[in-house]
Amino acid sequence: MSGRIKSLQLRLTVELAALFFVASCLAVAGLIYSASLTAGSLADRELGLRAEDLARYVSLDENQKPRLDLPPPLKQAYSAAAQQSVFAIRDKDGHLVEASTPEIGAMIARWPQADTEPSYFHLSKFGPLERDYSGVSIGLDSAAGPLSVLVAEASGSDQLVHSILREFVFDIAWYVPPFVALALLLAAFSVRRSLMPLRTASAQAAAIGPGSIALRLPEAGVPTEALPLVIAVNHALDRLEQGFVIQRRFTANAAHELRTPLTIITARLDTLEGNDQLSELREEVARMNRLVEQLLCVARLDSVALDVSSPVDLHELAEEVVGSMAHLALSACRTIALTGVDHPVLVTGSAAAIADALRNLIENALAHTAPGTEVIVEVGAEGAISVQDSGPGIPAEDRPHIFERFWRGKGVRGRGAGLGLAIVMEIVRAHGASITVSDRVTRGARFDLRFRTA
Amino acid sequence: MRLLVIEDEDRLSGILKSKLGEIGFTVDIAGSAADASAALELINYDAAILDLGLPDGDGLAVLTAARQAGKGLPILILTARDAIEDRVAGLNAGADDYLTKPFAISELIARVKALLRRPGGVLGMTLEAGNVRLDTIGRELTIAGIPARLSRRELAILEQMMRRFGRIVPKAVLEEKLYGIDEEPDSNPIPVHVHHLRRQLEATGASLMIHTIRGVGYILAETKA
Repeated sequence: MSGRIKSLQLRLTVELAALFFVASCLAVAGLIYSASLTAGSLADRELGLRAEDLARYVSLDENQKPRLDLPPPLKQAYSAAAQQSVFAIRDKDGHLVEASTPEIGAMIARWPQADTEPSYFHLSKFGPLERDYSGVSIGLDSAAGPLSVLVAEASGSDQLVHSILREFVFDIAWYVPPFVALALLLAAFSVRRSLMPLRTASAQAAAIGPGSIALRLPEAGVPTEALPLVIAVNHALDRLEQGFVIQRRFTANAAHELRTPLTIITARLDTLEGNDQLSELREEVARMNRLVEQLLCVARLDSVALDVSSPVDLHELAEEVVGSMAHLALSACRTIALTGVDHPVLVTGSAAAIADALRNLIENALAHTAPGTEVIVEVGAEGAISVQDSGPGIPAEDRPHIFERFWRGKGVRGRGAGLGLAIVMEIVRAHGASITVSDRVTRGARFDLRFRTA
Repeated sequence: MRLLVIEDEDRLSGILKSKLGEIGFTVDIAGSAADASAALELINYDAAILDLGLPDGDGLAVLTAARQAGKGLPILILTARDAIEDRVAGLNAGADDYLTKPFAISELIARVKALLRRPGGVLGMTLEAGNVRLDTIGRELTIAGIPARLSRRELAILEQMMRRFGRIVPKAVLEEKLYGIDEEPDSNPIPVHVHHLRRQLEATGASLMIHTIRGVGYILAETKA
């Protein structure tokens, strides 16, 4: 069963409950057994006492012969239950003194003299009613000398004892199911409680991601049995973090190292007098410059947690970014405009990062809008900013992918590495902001960002 | 005119030296913060180009030390784009302008020239862009070699744009400059003046064009051939 049940909690609960059930069954069975033993010995003692009673009333008659002289109530009792309680008494010579029924008298004649130690016997299908009897045969002293007394009781006559027993057992048995249910509840509760630290650890583990590799599972309160696992996982995370850090440092270093030669190439190309090929080369180098910048930006976003707690004026920031990119737009035969509200719009965040995001969105828009058209940056009150172009728009099936790193649309001309929108997304995420992509009412795509207002 | 280029990357400083040399500057190169401080102390440079990332220390320290020593020369700093804090710190520490790496040499030269043309700068007060020349003291304007006449406000707008040639001139800057011309509230808003100026430039065959960046300001650029 445990092989099928995956939940530790369920497994422990079920097994504990089964254990409780078996234990209570054993307890009840033991109780019944010992009760019936007690009942048996009670019956034996009753028989012995009855034999002693009988012996007490045996005396010698005028002929010096032993004779049973029962007091009337006892005599009446025996004769009322003639087939129920039987007895027979012999004297030391083996002569029958008295027998309650002739059958018992006949039978005892064949038996040896009884010993002073009681000997118990069982008679099957005896007498006219063919009943089963249990009895005792014992040698006793009396006023008439040593006697052999045999007393037997038909089985079923201990019904009273048994009925008391039965009642007792049923009373007990009645308590078993609620007891098991309670035990089950207690087991479930205590198992749940004991597994609580593991649950906490799981929640913590769920929060660990590429952006939060420094997080570790809490070791406090974890059960001793699970502690080695938690510690091992934490060590594994240490090693992973190291690898991650090396990887990130590599990206950052590589981009940094690329930057200097690129600056030199850019400068060299500038000094050359050009033909078409040269300007193509310049464009290619500019693209590479851009890629290196984006890689650096990605590495930075990956490695350093953004401080997004400063007040930022979205309007001022948009003005600066649009202004700084106007030249780029003009040289690509596109225009750019800032619309919307004309007053400060305060949000909480990192000005440098939001500017990066906006720059990437504008670059993206400039790359897709048709020559001669305008890219519009619109700032709204309530921390909204949008970038709209007049390009072909973004097909619905591409929308889930555009924010993935290195993803590029199929129909897109060979520009960009597909990092820009991924950078935007990371910045948006770090700010707890939202971004939506839609079609403009007129032709084109529209990106809407919404930041938390300060 | 003598410039100091403070840059640890030899190949880059080599190119800067040759390119600036071509247009008549004498260029000294300092490859470290220590060399730079020593050179600045010895020689009165007309301007300096300072890379903030130096091997033996912060370029910012060189800047601060120079300003504390009373050196008023224009200093242009070079920074990486991701170091926006450096840029702000640089300007606060007394830099006159900044360029982010990688940059175009032509852009660097234009910026250096603009710095040298500032009041008190050594290049005098003549602004040049395309075929337009403006003597900012004599208020004399020539377009394609022919003297041209503009209203005072139009001239002021053109001057601001030529000082920031190829770069955005925010509306706010123009408003501020025009407000100083006369105290009377101006009946014509800036777009009207720009419109007139644009027509004048076209009519006189200037190789310059004013682009409007809606919501932000204007850019003066050379017309495309």
